[in-house]
Amino acid sequence: MAIKHSGALALLTTLALSIGSASAENVKIGVVQGLSGPPAITDFGESYLQGIKLAVKDYEAKGGKHKIELVVYDDEANPQKAVSLVQRLMQNDKVPVIIGTVSSGNVLAFAPIMQKAGVPLVAGPSIATNITAQFIDQSPSYIFRCSMVEKFQIESMLDWGTKTFKKIGLVHSTTGYAVFAAKEIQEGLKARNVQLVAVESAAPNVSDLTPQLLKMKEAGAELVLNFHESFELIYRPMSKLDYRPTIAGNWGLSSMKVLQIVGQKEIEGTVMGQALDMALDGSKAFVARMETEYGKAFRWPVIAALGYDAGQVVLRALDTAKTIDPKGVRDALESVDGIKAISATPEKPFGPKDHECLDREHVFLGVWKSGQVVRLKY
Amino acid sequence: MSVETHNSPWLRNGAYAAMAVAIAVFPLLISNTFHIHLAQTLLYTTIAVIGLNLLLGLSGQMSMGQAGFYAIGAYGSALLTAKLDWPIAAAMIAGIALAGVAGCLVGLVALRTRGLYLAMATLAFGFMVEIATQRWVDLTGGTMGVYGIPGLDFGSSTMGKTYYLWVVGAVYLAVQIASDYVMNSRIRRNLLALKENESAARTAGINVPAWRTVVFAVSSLAAGTAGAFFTHQNAYINSDAFTLNLTLTMLIATVIGGLGTSYGPLIGTLITLMIAELIASLYDVSFMINGFILLTVLLLFPQGAIGLVQQAGKFLFGRTGAGPETPTAMPDRPVALPAAPPSNGPTLVVENLTKRYGGVVAVRDVSLSIERGTVHALIGPNGAGKSTLINCVSGLYRADSGCILLNGRDVTGLPAHARAHMGLARTFQNLQLVSSLTVMENVQLGIRSNRSIVGDFSSWLLSSSFEAEERARALALLQQFGMAHLAAARPEDLPYGHRKLAELARAIAEEPAVMLLDEPVAGLNDREAQEIADVIRRIRDSGTSILLVEHNMEFVMKLADRVTVLDYGERIAQGAPEQVQKDPRVVEAYLGGSLEQSAGKLEAAS
Amino acid sequence: MSAANFVQLLLSGLAMGAIYALTATGLFIAHLATTRLNFGQGDFLMFAAYLSMALLLAGVPVLLVMVVVLVVLALMGWGLERFAIRPLDRMRALVGGQYSWVLTTMGVALIIQNVVTLLWGKSSQYSPPLFSANRQNVVQVFGAGVFVEELLVIVAALAVILLFYALLYRTRQGRAIYAVAFSPDTAALLGIDVRRTVVLVFVMASVLAAISGVLVGPIVTVQPHMGLVFTVKAFAVASLGGFANPLGVLVGAILFGVAESFSNYVNSAFGDLYPLLLVMALLVIKPSGLFGEAKTDVR
Repeated sequence: MAIKHSGALALLTTLALSIGSASAENVKIGVVQGLSGPPAITDFGESYLQGIKLAVKDYEAKGGKHKIELVVYDDEANPQKAVSLVQRLMQNDKVPVIIGTVSSGNVLAFAPIMQKAGVPLVAGPSIATNITAQFIDQSPSYIFRCSMVEKFQIESMLDWGTKTFKKIGLVHSTTGYAVFAAKEIQEGLKARNVQLVAVESAAPNVSDLTPQLLKMKEAGAELVLNFHESFELIYRPMSKLDYRPTIAGNWGLSSMKVLQIVGQKEIEGTVMGQALDMALDGSKAFVARMETEYGKAFRWPVIAALGYDAGQVVLRALDTAKTIDPKGVRDALESVDGIKAISATPEKPFGPKDHECLDREHVFLGVWKSGQVVRLKY
Repeated sequence: MSVETHNSPWLRNGAYAAMAVAIAVFPLLISNTFHIHLAQTLLYTTIAVIGLNLLLGLSGQMSMGQAGFYAIGAYGSALLTAKLDWPIAAAMIAGIALAGVAGCLVGLVALRTRGLYLAMATLAFGFMVEIATQRWVDLTGGTMGVYGIPGLDFGSSTMGKTYYLWVVGAVYLAVQIASDYVMNSRIRRNLLALKENESAARTAGINVPAWRTVVFAVSSLAAGTAGAFFTHQNAYINSDAFTLNLTLTMLIATVIGGLGTSYGPLIGTLITLMIAELIASLYDVSFMINGFILLTVLLLFPQGAIGLVQQAGKFLFGRTGAGPETPTAMPDRPVALPAAPPSNGPTLVVENLTKRYGGVVAVRDVSLSIERGTVHALIGPNGAGKSTLINCVSGLYRADSGCILLNGRDVTGLPAHARAHMGLARTFQNLQLVSSLTVMENVQLGIRSNRSIVGDFSSWLLSSSFEAEERARALALLQQFGMAHLAAARPEDLPYGHRKLAELARAIAEEPAVMLLDEPVAGLNDREAQEIADVIRRIRDSGTSILLVEHNMEFVMKLADRVTVLDYGERIAQGAPEQVQKDPRVVEAYLGGSLEQSAGKLEAAS
Repeated sequence: MSAANFVQLLLSGLAMGAIYALTATGLFIAHLATTRLNFGQGDFLMFAAYLSMALLLAGVPVLLVMVVVLVVLALMGWGLERFAIRPLDRMRALVGGQYSWVLTTMGVALIIQNVVTLLWGKSSQYSPPLFSANRQNVVQVFGAGVFVEELLVIVAALAVILLFYALLYRTRQGRAIYAVAFSPDTAALLGIDVRRTVVLVFVMASVLAAISGVLVGPIVTVQPHMGLVFTVKAFAVASLGGFANPLGVLVGAILFGVAESFSNYVNSAFGDLYPLLLVMALLVIKPSGLFGEAKTDVR
């Protein structure tokens, strides 16, 4: 009985997998994102995907060269799943390029596999510093990224923070991502000869940060760096502790969901890494379009903008590629030019030794002001 | 399958060979490496699920911490290769061994807890490992993972995946064969017995704590093996892979495939993997689909995929050879029971035994002794301490003072299973047959085998007469009770009297020197009681001593050679039945009320 | 640590402990009568929190919101028993059927989570306070600030559990539950409607989840996958208390909540580890929980 089953495995899986793959004329773009599970994942994944989808829509409306088919899978922020899905996209769906995913750990899990297989990856919205850096010296590197880079937002924040405040505290979550961010913060501060007055952490699924904020209060921190993925939690105990430090942190703090939960009054003055200047008309128009397109499901301008730009870059590469195959798309990606990005991504995002959409000079600090994230001047 | 009565090694080994060929050829025929990747995942995950199947399906212990063992195997192997440059094979073995050690430790905790508390303890263990892998960043890299793990590809980038599949396939086959052996041997019978009632299992000679710990360790080894293979499949791991979801996926695979069946784990894992792939792009409703699948399977096909296949088979082909056949009817006539070993002096002696519960003394300073080949009855009103005494003798309770000698050897400090091995068998007031075993298998529980595990395994693997002797003996015993035709039936399908006989047969199969019978005729009609009385006489005639607890006075007076009377935990009389019957203290204690009246009643009963 | 901070941590631990107590009492009552429980208890709580949030935002008066949520959750409890638990009775005899309820109730939990994401989205949400004008309504207790809603949770949980205690020991229906717990067959002989009692305990468990859901919304942010954490913690709490009596559950919950709050203060990196260690250690020392009776299964 078991023989039949293991023999039939190939047949069954082929059958199972053939559902969903459509006609061969379409050009497929593979997308792996965290689309189910806790909001700390899905808010990022869905927002980025919304941007990609709008980019494809715009491309087709303008009569793009190819008929595009997005093949979207949910990796549930699980590396085992993500690796399997990436192989499926490469081997089964035969996509020439993949965009994804939220969890930096997952990208680190499948990036080496894609590099080895020679299929280009445009990573995002994962933000761990070392994603493209570890492959950039390989020629050619297949790993690109259109997202925030942790180091850049931290550097900007520390420049501003050490200039403005004397006592700085840090609250971060215990996920590896946040732990590494905490490490980068501490290294950055060391270079500036500043010591954190308190460092506290919390599991990603906690519902209360009172003990942690109490520690901050006792240490007298004027600025609390918030690198916990449940961005709204830090604000909750403030009024009962009667302690209102300035909050600064991950670009996630710019989510409109955080604004809704925390309230305009409480979030006023919060600073975060940013790559979308809301003062620009282009940004305002984009947000307006996203709102009509997705209604209440739209919640995160900067992530959606980067998703849109990642989509634009990939589509442009498909248009300019000599051949629609992984190698051709990779080469085209490296030389894409003339992108009218929504985010701070430059016209020519990539080069042979630069696989990041956003470089240090494109990242700036945003601040919540009257329910809007605007450029922080310092 | 599990209830197979005849061992057919050639057929089965042919099937294994065919599986081996299928695994060997599969990667050579398939060019899509994603399918090879899936096959790898299927095989190593199945190994973990087989472990869980033994744990939950056979021993009935619920573990919600399997992801913890999986993670220990994975990190053990990952860190040893990546940080200490161990060779892959050595690191995997060490990682798996670590998981096994953790399994032993958790298994020891498991000994103290049961049911839901065990589920909670293992759940807590799983979370602790998850927290450790996530937070101990210097060691594990947390969710950013461990780098520099070598892939199990023997240095070949083109054939690496194929080689990996062969290795994991070979290990899977070995584990599957081992699991099949367990499913067909006394190990399955013992585990199912302890799952249903630990006390009964202990008195039948099963070392319950050892079995429970071992099966825990085995399941953790299996999970650790899967973890180690996972590590070297992708050459990268991070802590997000080892959450409660992983445990739940394994649980679901176990149940969907068919709990407690040989091939349930393989089929269950295949189904869960396929569902996951099918709904990978249906992310907005994936939870709902999973939820409905769980409900559908458990409510409509509770026996899982394997059960469904069997039912379909039965429906299509009627009763095929899969079911246990009825042994050819032989004349049911009494055959002499095996003679009990000779003994010098009394076979069972209880000296000054006292048992307290808190401040209450249930048995106070009771002594009795039983000669070889006699029936000694223990009587007394409700609450007199009879059950406590018999539980102390069988080893389920520890006496507070006094001692118990079996064939002249002091067994006071020995656990129940050890006493059973020394020749003490017992039956229970409210029948303790294992409902998930056939009548014959229940009798086989009593038969002591002195074959080693290795001998037993090779006999199963190679010989067509595996356990033939045991089965013949069990059948012979059943024949004596006119029950041979019921050998393949389940206990709950038998009338009550037959169940009592089956339990007696199980006890006789132990070839005990002493048998403790706790109310053997309670709930039986006169004819059935007569039958039991005959059986007891024959057991006695074979030289076995019997300690009989019974309420039915007529029955006691007819059978007993000696009688001990307990009242409020104290021995108030002892002697020949007719002597005890007339003892005024007994009459007083037993019936209260006026002496003459009571004496009359007792007379009438005899 | 200053006295004010001590009180601060104690109160914040008590508030969470109160929620755990309510949730765990739901597990306890179902387990008492049926030896099964709802592994989606936390998801029922989550659904109640969402429902009350939606109704409050729609401008429905608070008391009406409570009534509606209680009724809806009671119906869900009935449905759970009817469609995910009762059908399992016929498979009691099957191998391993004894733990099937873990998976069926979890299946229901998954469906509820998905329904919530379809109705209200996948993001975290803000639930308006029940009795305060805004979420920042703070009162001072021994020098520590505390939200009015937090105090409300503590008081309500205590009241509900005391009421529950009275119900269990002082009413006919409560004694019926204990009778069923002791032996369904005996209870049936005594003229107790066993089926009805079993339905009742699941409805009660659901209603308890409803109460905790309504109360917890304003003190945390709600999100569709928050349930599992509450289930697991309630499960831990019920084990601590020994599934023995509601008072044990209350003590276990307060211990757990306060331990959590203080361990987060002392060593926040492993703040969630210490309460688990406490549970594990206690289960080793007292295998049937603080107030549970060790049962030897001699028959």
